[in-house]
Amino acid sequence: MSQYRVSGRGRVDTGKPVSFTFDGKRYTGAAGDTVASALLAHGVHLMGRSFKYHRPRGPVAAGSEEPNALIGTRRGPGRFEPNTRATVQELREGLEATSQNKYPSLKWDIGAVNDAAYMLFSAGFYYKTFMWPKNFWHKVYEPFIRAAAGLGVAPCEEDPDHYASRYLHCDVLIVGAGPSGLAAARAAAVDGLKVVLVDENAEAGGTLLSEPQATIDGQPAWDWLASELEALKAAGVKIMTRTTAIGYYHQNMIGLCERLTDHLTDVPADTPRERMWRVRAGQVVLAQGALEKPLVFHGNDRPGVMLAGSAQTFLNRYGVLVGKRPVVLTSHDSAWYAAFDLADAGAKVQAIVDLRDHVHVDLLTEAQRRGITAKLGYTASATSGRLRVSSIRVNPVKGGDVGTAERIECDAVLMSGGWTPSLHLFSHTKGTLAWDDDLTTFLPGKTPEDCVIAGASRGPWGIAAALNDGAEKGAAVAAALGKSASGKTFAVEADRTGSGITVKELPTDRSPGKAKAFVDYQNDVTAKDLRLAVREGMRSIEHVKRYTTNGMATDQGKMSNINGLNIASDALGKAQPKVGLTTFRPPYTPTSFGAFAGYHRGEHFEVTRKTQIDSWAEENGAVFEPVGQWRRAWYFPQAGEDMDAAVGRECRAVRETLGMFDASTLGKIEVVGPDAVEFMNRMYTNPWTKLALGRCRYGLLCGDDGYIRDDGVIGRLGQDLFHVTTTTGGAARVMNMMEDYLQTEWPDLNVWLTSTTEQWSTIALNGPNAAKLLAPLVEGIELTDEAFPHMSCLECTVAGMPARLFRVSFTGEIGFEVNVPAPMGRKLWEKLWEAGQQYGITAYGTETMHVLRAEKGYIIVGQDTDGTVTPYDAGMGWAVGKSKPDFVGKRGMARPDLVAEGRKQLVGLLTEDRSKLEEGAQIVFDADQPVPMKMVGHVTSAYHSDAVGQPIALALVEGGQGRMGETVHIPMPDRTIAATITSTVFVDPENTRLKI
Amino acid sequence: MNAPVPAFSTDASAGTSVVRVTTAAPCARLSLRARGELGPLEAALGLDLPRRIGARAEVGETEVLCLGPDEWMLRGPEAVAPTIRAACDEVYKTHPMSLVDVSGREVTFVIEGTSAAELLTLGCPRDIDRLAVGEGRRTVFDGATVVLWRDATDRFRMDVWHSFAPHVFDLLATGCRELAAEAA
Repeated sequence: MSQYRVSGRGRVDTGKPVSFTFDGKRYTGAAGDTVASALLAHGVHLMGRSFKYHRPRGPVAAGSEEPNALIGTRRGPGRFEPNTRATVQELREGLEATSQNKYPSLKWDIGAVNDAAYMLFSAGFYYKTFMWPKNFWHKVYEPFIRAAAGLGVAPCEEDPDHYASRYLHCDVLIVGAGPSGLAAARAAAVDGLKVVLVDENAEAGGTLLSEPQATIDGQPAWDWLASELEALKAAGVKIMTRTTAIGYYHQNMIGLCERLTDHLTDVPADTPRERMWRVRAGQVVLAQGALEKPLVFHGNDRPGVMLAGSAQTFLNRYGVLVGKRPVVLTSHDSAWYAAFDLADAGAKVQAIVDLRDHVHVDLLTEAQRRGITAKLGYTASATSGRLRVSSIRVNPVKGGDVGTAERIECDAVLMSGGWTPSLHLFSHTKGTLAWDDDLTTFLPGKTPEDCVIAGASRGPWGIAAALNDGAEKGAAVAAALGKSASGKTFAVEADRTGSGITVKELPTDRSPGKAKAFVDYQNDVTAKDLRLAVREGMRSIEHVKRYTTNGMATDQGKMSNINGLNIASDALGKAQPKVGLTTFRPPYTPTSFGAFAGYHRGEHFEVTRKTQIDSWAEENGAVFEPVGQWRRAWYFPQAGEDMDAAVGRECRAVRETLGMFDASTLGKIEVVGPDAVEFMNRMYTNPWTKLALGRCRYGLLCGDDGYIRDDGVIGRLGQDLFHVTTTTGGAARVMNMMEDYLQTEWPDLNVWLTSTTEQWSTIALNGPNAAKLLAPLVEGIELTDEAFPHMSCLECTVAGMPARLFRVSFTGEIGFEVNVPAPMGRKLWEKLWEAGQQYGITAYGTETMHVLRAEKGYIIVGQDTDGTVTPYDAGMGWAVGKSKPDFVGKRGMARPDLVAEGRKQLVGLLTEDRSKLEEGAQIVFDADQPVPMKMVGHVTSAYHSDAVGQPIALALVEGGQGRMGETVHIPMPDRTIAATITSTVFVDPENTRLKI
Repeated sequence: MNAPVPAFSTDASAGTSVVRVTTAAPCARLSLRARGELGPLEAALGLDLPRRIGARAEVGETEVLCLGPDEWMLRGPEAVAPTIRAACDEVYKTHPMSLVDVSGREVTFVIEGTSAAELLTLGCPRDIDRLAVGEGRRTVFDGATVVLWRDATDRFRMDVWHSFAPHVFDLLATGCRELAAEAA
């Protein structure tokens, strides 16, 4: 048995030893231990170094609020986690734990020089110290601070674990399985209500695990707990342990992080390490209890100084004495019971030092019975000991005067500054807090959520009070859900009710200015820092917090917030509620990125949409690019070709003979109904009434601001039926916009929209031989200019498949788009590919498509437009139905600034030195003007063009359409390029190539 | 982007002892939109259109699911599509509606087994318990819009647009393994 393990105490199984290492040294703990309890059982308190001063630190708490004992844990490659709280990490066979923030070793740390130089590191020291010289910031100060600050080392290997998530719906969610949570669950589990009870610890029970002396309804606490858990399971309550409620979001959505494998020796296959539960609960009961406050005095961070309640937990739950000669230092009754428990377990309690002048006589009697000296009306002014506390210096206080010090030898100091209700999740709900003068703390006020607080987190103290309040609240939420329930009353014996006072930093006979009295252990913030912040002008607690970083560490100020507030309000001379409390934000405790990411990593990171023809492209060596959620074939390089060569070859093939292109990603919307044409007239800028059956037209869609939003070819396949196409990226947005107008503005229109994007596979054929290839495969129409002119559409059969055939062109060459039911897409593609071999058919990708359309001056919405370009700016006034009574954007286009002279307009650019411009490059009229120059536009598209014989570009230029032939300049880092403004149409302006 | 994305075949399946996911055979799917007096349309179709969102009806092998106040999804053997089309065309002049063939748009996964409902909680924010047997809903699964049909306590169908199917299937397959490990 380890030196500090107490036989017969605790819930750990010493018959099942568990071997682990800490900083390479092997230790043995017991099944049920945490790393902290196992190390404490060996008398090891020193577990880490502090953040700023590198002071030696040990655990101050026994639970998830622990600020000091942060370790790295490792289980093989990739399975490393920094900043794990040793008080939370359960022991498992072979666990490798390491201390952090030390060099070269935990006991001899060079960074501890910061501690000696602490006067340099006062509040706001970054702002004061690292101001000058300015250029030192990036090169010297920031790298130094980044290297020196922080705790654990970020993992650099890929995490082989996987993470999961689920949704969960329940009637009642209860957070915290202590006495109030258990009683609430029992009371609420009536009449089929689905109740879920969660607790962050490895087992349910909360305080009961640390207070086995109590009896509940005649049963010893632990027996009652065991039978109650059975009863809850029998009543259908879902009990989830190792599950932390990390955040409370809108409308009773609570995030839970469940840890599934960190406590297991072997990780089972297919079992995630952690699972994020997104719970939607009808009613929530927050039964999170209270957290003990440290006392603020010089040397209150020395290893061996810890919370009295935590010492009690280490003893009663883990069977570990945190010291054999402890001193208790307290302002609350609860620590007296810790002293009694430790004394009864064999510790020699050196003294109980109480800040109060009077305590209840029963406590004094009990202390006396155990031979413990009680010192009432005392303060503590220092501790000593290098890596572990060895003595405490205490002084009597009379009428505010601090008397002569005496030193008490000890190996642990158990402190209690009273208890703070845990209101983190309540605070997430935007719940208001009410200051309670008697308890000197904030209590929950009103919340907009369906949420109640039970037990110690709203003030009541003791097991009976918690049980009875829990039962009452459980019945209340059941009643709120329309069920009749009543909470029972519990009879508790050996309950430890009590009270205490709240103090700021303890009075001392030494200089308070030199005291290292820590308020925030994790960020190394002292009482002196807080007072300095107030002296330097910080008035709001929010400013004090940011200036000192009090409460800003990963523990979210669980221990420091109220102490910090008390000290700041004292320094300001204002009552606490006037100074306010900072806001708690999720997550409640540090949560892994893996838990947030869940399944979305690696190949499952995001949806990758693929067309039916994508597999052919992949087999034929396509390089892909993302377009929205889609991946599209970008170009098809042949052996030895780079992108430019491949795109050049693909472009030539289309202009000279025949190319084919997978256009399936284009958005498609079926517009059907007697008012279809009226809807189209109102939605698009173009007129549609006169569009004949079997004809199609290029449509331009604007927002109500008059700016271009989307475009596409639209075919009229029936009197009341339009086949609308949209851009690939705009499909869902356009559909939503149309539905929005239809449902909110024009509900009178008898027309319906159906997304058919994925109903059709769309193959575009372009080039002089397009009609020749297609003609023998099409049934029902002759592909001549007479029978099926440019901008026609038809339902027919292509290669034996039902098809919608469009004769359109975005390349300037003869063009068709064949739509067949999506699953037939690849079959049709292969047939066309085979039949096209005689014409040297060439598959091309999106890059070639972009070049071909740019050569014709066809815009790409989102590239040549940026949400501030009107149809007129784009040179497409011809697409605006000026005589239409109204359409979306008509009024917007009439705004004074949209009709003003000098707007940026789309033009073509040809560079004088025949170089390719850079997309996004800025344009100026006069290259000789002084810097900063007046920029008059930018390049929107730029490509090499074989067809033109030199690179081409599209650009938005102020008043550009009135400046044809003028020279503009594009300043680049190495030179300035001159370019001539041209028409946007570079190839075949008369459209002669469209004729079959 | 250029890493090979796992191929998805139209007969993909995954499964463990607790839940199986298979791909259903192709069928006819028609999106029907109509409002006002529905009697003549129902008469022409020879079926009753359920009025409550989520409710279903069946005539022969044709199933109807009400997805919205004026929206229904019809599905049946591929041969029924022309019959339904003809019936709608017949009454269109007096009772206009929109009937759009979306048979090619989506694929259906059949999800069955004791953990089928739990599997859906991996990606569906809805309360699966409140989706009654014999009903259906349009909802989302792992970010993709899907239509869920609950055919039995432990059997569902999920309609997914083709391009989302590999992503959705991937999570369903992961979930099958996860739930099997949980049950073990």
